[in-house]
Amino acid sequence: MTDRGTVRGQATTGRDGTTPQGVTTFMAESCSLPFCKGCGHGHVLRKLNDAMVRLRLDPSKVSLVTDIGCIGLADSLFSLPHTVHTTHGRSTAFATGIELADAVLADSRLKTIVMIGDGGAMIGLLHLVNAALLNVDVTVILCNNYLFGMTGGQNSAFSPLDFITSTTPRGNMIPPLDVCGLMTGSNAGFVARKLATDPDLGDTIADAIAHPGFSMVEVVELCTEFGARRNRLSGTVLRGIVESHGQSLGVLTSGTARGEFGTVYSGKFPPNGEKAGGRGDGFILRKFNATLDRRFGIVIGGSAGEKVQSAAATLCEAAAMSGLHSSQKNDNPVTQGTGFSLAEVCLDPSVVEYTGIDSPDAVIVASDAGAAQLTAGGIFGRCRPDTLVVCDADVRIPDSPGTIVRPALRKTFGPTRAALGALAFALGRLGLFPSSAFIEAIRRRDADLAGMIEGKAGKLASPEDTSSTP
Amino acid sequence: MIPSTEAGWKVRLRNGNQMVAEGAAASGCRFFAGYPITPASGIYKGMIDNLQRRGDLAISSPDEISALAYCVGASMRGVKAMTATSGPGWALMIETLQYALMTETPLVIAVVQRLGPSTGGATQGAQGDILLTEYCTSGGYTVPVFTPSTAAECFELTVHAFSWSETLRTPVIILLDKEVAMTTESVDYTILHTPPVANRVVHHGARNGAAGGGGDRNGGGSTRMYDFTDIADVPPFIPVGGPLKVTATGSAHNKSGELRKNDPETLEMLRHLEEKILSRAAEMETIAADPQEGAGTLVLSFGITARAAREAVRKARAAGHATSFINLKTLFPVPEASLRTAASGVDRVVIAEENMHGQYRGVIRHLFPGADVRGVNRVGSMITPDEILGAIV
Ligand code: SF4
Ligand SMILES: [Mg+2]
Repeated sequence: MTDRGTVRGQATTGRDGTTPQGVTTFMAESCSLPFCKGCGHGHVLRKLNDAMVRLRLDPSKVSLVTDIGCIGLADSLFSLPHTVHTTHGRSTAFATGIELADAVLADSRLKTIVMIGDGGAMIGLLHLVNAALLNVDVTVILCNNYLFGMTGGQNSAFSPLDFITSTTPRGNMIPPLDVCGLMTGSNAGFVARKLATDPDLGDTIADAIAHPGFSMVEVVELCTEFGARRNRLSGTVLRGIVESHGQSLGVLTSGTARGEFGTVYSGKFPPNGEKAGGRGDGFILRKFNATLDRRFGIVIGGSAGEKVQSAAATLCEAAAMSGLHSSQKNDNPVTQGTGFSLAEVCLDPSVVEYTGIDSPDAVIVASDAGAAQLTAGGIFGRCRPDTLVVCDADVRIPDSPGTIVRPALRKTFGPTRAALGALAFALGRLGLFPSSAFIEAIRRRDADLAGMIEGKAGKLASPEDTSSTP
Repeated sequence: MIPSTEAGWKVRLRNGNQMVAEGAAASGCRFFAGYPITPASGIYKGMIDNLQRRGDLAISSPDEISALAYCVGASMRGVKAMTATSGPGWALMIETLQYALMTETPLVIAVVQRLGPSTGGATQGAQGDILLTEYCTSGGYTVPVFTPSTAAECFELTVHAFSWSETLRTPVIILLDKEVAMTTESVDYTILHTPPVANRVVHHGARNGAAGGGGDRNGGGSTRMYDFTDIADVPPFIPVGGPLKVTATGSAHNKSGELRKNDPETLEMLRHLEEKILSRAAEMETIAADPQEGAGTLVLSFGITARAAREAVRKARAAGHATSFINLKTLFPVPEASLRTAASGVDRVVIAEENMHGQYRGVIRHLFPGADVRGVNRVGSMITPDEILGAIV
């Protein structure tokens, strides 16, 4: 059993000067329980209250997060801790958010306890799994009474085989979920399954709360209104039902070498790290003068993995160094490493408004896959006579009114540099801004590459060719 | 031609998603939970990059329901929180959004529109989630929605969204479309506008409920969860983990946060949720109006389509058609007074948006009685300037 006086993150004196030793109950004094006669919920809540008192928790450092259903009425019975009554099944996710922020962004003194039923656990199962995986300091008390009580006794994923409910009138056909097994498989540090009638239930709940990190206690109990009479059950047979499904009782997992999430996170990302939101660096300043006096649209087509879109980004960077605005839209198949790769770039001495290119001013074709995609998009038909089309010498394209030039892009620059080389070549002819701006933009990333592109683009043979096929 | 340099020229190549992330960081956002979805994943990545190195928290979640629930929890603990998604993920978030609204928990959600319905087209642009984002609550409560048309506006409106979310204690949506979110453009930081950053007002009262042992339950003179006098007041915030007790519920509740049915105070609380927002509609409105003297036509648009519209207006004016233009930026609360004023004197209102029937047109057309209200709509690709021009001239 845990030393009740040393719960991590909890001081013996509250921030506001209250002495938790003086707190004799966390519940409302005149609290009358809203549950049916014999219902296990009230019993479990009193055990929870006892555990919090014995742990000497500072009430301002406890948040009780409740789910929907009869057990979700628990929040209204507790007058001292923070209470957050949430939506169906999502209580653990809200609690996770509270604890994530508390552990990483606040003083990490908070204890968060979730009260959830089997119905809520069913719809929100993933939240339990993820809280356990994260190992946030959340304690989940799962009150499993085998059915939905508040809505009239419908079966849940926790109902035993052959259990009679309003929605399983001939007996439940589906075996119950072993949520403790699921939690163990989710790396939970503390997992227990208890009967509501176990005399040491309060101790187990206290141990779960004291556990630094995620913990879950499944409490098996009876809904007297819908579960007991129909199935002719009493509290004494619950143990047999649990065991008949091969499930164990007691504390099933306790203690873990794994650090609580906040500790792990702050180890990687210490608090008060870099202040900058990234606004202080990486600006492009103007070093060149552009000659472009209107909007100019360039479409670049090539293959995935051949740096088409990064060539387009280099173009935009060079344009910005020359005082031009730009927009760049990329397109590729959803499986990003295969097939075509397209980029559409608009350059403009003013802000680029409409980012579409209805009739391109220049087209770069660096590979067959790019040609095919541009053809499918009807780009070549939308060229004007003054549109410069720079197409690799070995790539087929359809007839086009544009001015077609066919240098040996892939052979000269290599497949992964064909688009970049083509742009260097095209810019030399178009004169939108100094070619040296483009070379400098490449040099910022790779000086050797800039030298290669500059040397080869200058000498590139550029056979004028108005026919479309090689 | 040498472009103007008077304004300075400090440029980054940024897309809208990246600028949302920058705007969030500039707003003091310290918590982001994300789940990947095209075309919003860039915000998730941007927040991982911006927040983690500061020691703030950006984290993956197992689904969109968790992402938003984590944000609500973090915001209840007292920090500015955000998530980002697209249509399918937004559908999963709607229950939790309503919880944030009901509990008056501030947070910002970036919704990046793509082609729908269902999975639709993940990489295809659309402006089809106007109604789905605004009318997502049972009861039809107002959710502020801002729509940027450029990467720079993504920054500006994200800061604006955070400030109003904190000021009003309510969830706020920044509604992007794929074309704005994923198109990289030159952003000149020398003219980047940063709206005022507001922080939530926190309650500093005696711990409620502690002294008398449950006094809070009976409202016996202790601090109430929602402590306000006028129905349009925004109550000061009480964080989970602070000295004052939080009593929060998504159920209808009184000012103490206690679940109640139809008592007068509870009904007042429901009206309060709406009044605190509507009473500040004019203050939070941010529209970019470009009126022209003697205009016969008013063109309204937002998001990526506003850019085509601006080109269309330029062409119309060049052709001698006096035309006024508004890039809306604020869709909800509807900037009614500004729209009525802008439309006074025109006999035609053109509303351009990339969706099937003109979702926003349906919302605002009643503001223009007597005018010839025309929609320019399209599904599957961007509306062109010429299409809009055709509706103007
Ligand atoms: S319906 Fe069942 S679970 Fe609900 S209070 Fe009654 S006995 Fe308890
Ligand atoms: Mg149940």
